[in-house]
Amino acid sequence: MTKLLLSVHVLAAILTVGPIAVAASIFPRYARQAAFDEDPGGGAAGVARLLHRICRGYAVAGVAVPVFGVATGAQLGVLTDAWLIVSLALTVLAAGVLVLAILPGQQRLLTSAAAPVAGSPAMTKGSTGLVADERRALSARLAARTGIFNLLWAIVVVLMIVRPGSTTGA
Amino acid sequence: MRALRIAAAVEAGSLAVLLGNLVTVHTPAITSLGGPLHGTAYLVVIALTWLGSAAPGTRWRAAIPGIGGLLVLRRIGPDREEA
Repeated sequence: MTKLLLSVHVLAAILTVGPIAVAASIFPRYARQAAFDEDPGGGAAGVARLLHRICRGYAVAGVAVPVFGVATGAQLGVLTDAWLIVSLALTVLAAGVLVLAILPGQQRLLTSAAAPVAGSPAMTKGSTGLVADERRALSARLAARTGIFNLLWAIVVVLMIVRPGSTTGA
Repeated sequence: MRALRIAAAVEAGSLAVLLGNLVTVHTPAITSLGGPLHGTAYLVVIALTWLGSAAPGTRWRAAIPGIGGLLVLRRIGPDREEA
């Protein structure tokens, strides 16, 4: 039963965190294209929306990863091991970055990218420049947060493999 | 909406199986597999509800164990329940 739980845990981790990492990493590029009118056909805006949907949808499905992970840990009796507690803390941190920083940032960038396409009459020359600066800063921040998210997961994966201080298996 | 319906069904169904197992045959395999399955469905229902609905009453209903998903479905889509 432990092997089945562990298989579900690893499979869920690969299939949910992987797509989020890829989609969130390439999101800023397409959002930038859509926001700075380098998007004649409107394709980049559509891609950015799809990437955001992938991040959101797989984030929800991703709750299976820690749940089955904790179940596996309980079966193995390693829930109090330091490597597992550190991994859990980093997972909580990564989830927080995703839900509180990356997803809202993507949402803001998408809504701001959609604004000039709709043709806001109140938008003057000066305010356009300010909005452009804001967008550039927002998408740079978003790229940085996505990098942090990916780095946190890389650390958790290494902890899961190395399991420092563990006496169970290789 | 479809995802929420599936998650709500799994949430209620897996809890029923778990409790049924508890009072009858008590097979450890059902407990250790059904537990995480129920936990995942429970959290997915909460996440989907918080993403999809801003009404506090709906959001807090999702946190009710076992039947939270079904309560949310009943509250946000009475027309869909009849269909």
